[in-house]
Amino acid sequence: MTDTKRTLPVLPPAPPEGATPHAPVDDACFLGERPDVPKLREALATIKNWFRANSLWVMAYGTGCGSIELRPLTTARFDMERFGMAMRPTPRQSNVLIISGYLATKSLKRVIRSYEQMPAPKWVVGLGSCTINGGMYWDSYNTINRLDLYLPVDVYIAGCMPRPEALLAGFSYLMERIKKGEANGWHHYLENLDWYKENQKKLITDWDMPDYNW
Amino acid sequence: MDTILDEIRTRFAVTWEHEQRPDLLQVGVEPVTVVPLLTWLKAHTPYVQLTHMSVVDWLEEGQFQLTYLLTDPEGFRSLMVVTRIDREEATAESVWELWPQAVTYEQEINEMFGIRFPGSPRQGVPFILEGWDDIPPMRRDFDTVEYMNAHHPSRPGREHTDPRTYVGKVVGEKGYLHD
Repeated sequence: MTDTKRTLPVLPPAPPEGATPHAPVDDACFLGERPDVPKLREALATIKNWFRANSLWVMAYGTGCGSIELRPLTTARFDMERFGMAMRPTPRQSNVLIISGYLATKSLKRVIRSYEQMPAPKWVVGLGSCTINGGMYWDSYNTINRLDLYLPVDVYIAGCMPRPEALLAGFSYLMERIKKGEANGWHHYLENLDWYKENQKKLITDWDMPDYNW
Repeated sequence: MDTILDEIRTRFAVTWEHEQRPDLLQVGVEPVTVVPLLTWLKAHTPYVQLTHMSVVDWLEEGQFQLTYLLTDPEGFRSLMVVTRIDREEATAESVWELWPQAVTYEQEINEMFGIRFPGSPRQGVPFILEGWDDIPPMRRDFDTVEYMNAHHPSRPGREHTDPRTYVGKVVGEKGYLHD
């Protein structure tokens, strides 16, 4: 468990006095721990979050009937591309995972795999009542009742089914949260990986994949 | 249809029959008669296609009802061959040698109801469920709420409304159900 746990990037020690920082790759690496850094880092984070919020790439994957409501978003009437959102065919290219409606135990396994393969920063949107409390499938033997036990959910969109307008409202809320730096579900997932894995393995009895899918 | 039915009556021990529609006839037989009847139907009548296999769980009577739906593709008519097998020793004869697609039906029935089809390939191979460790979920004595409570934690605060009492309450108060 612990050897597969991905630790968050550790800031390098401050460069010696008078040294010229070379080849800035990451702002953390570039900025070090100098006294003027926090404000600068905050500004950089704001800019980065603004970019991130305006280029949400959604994985084109539907688990339940809610994915029907995602189709109109891509077409001319609701047109999610005006928000910089696009559908991507693979988890490696996307950073938003939408759990659209009921989630079967069998799908949960694939969803976990896909989520962990997505590059960070990444966000999870729970769409419909089924992800919140089980919805109309609350007593089914084969669908989960609470998504947040297994994946870190950043935004829930209630409804059965939520209309495309509601989805757009939910995505706007997600964008606001990203811009404010509040949508940090992926941090929470990595910090509490043991807890998430415990929940996942309690449900998925035939666990036949790595503990963490890079 | 009538001549075929007469022939079935003559050749096989038909326990009951029922005309559901002019183009859909049900014929009930004993389990041992099923495979000879289906073989004969496929060889000598237009009912050459196995369209569906389904199961009904008669819990109170301790039986499973197995239904084979055969179709006449040119005459646009169907024939249901129905049989009842014992629920405790749930075993039925496989028909996969007559129709290869029966393998999938038998695999699914095996998983969902626990009926065994000896000799059929892919028996016991998971079809939909993965890592299932309880009694087959489509049996009526499987308690889905109990299973859900044991495996799927619920979010506190959810209210349940039993449809029967709720509808009775609303109709009792308002005199009608919908505005």
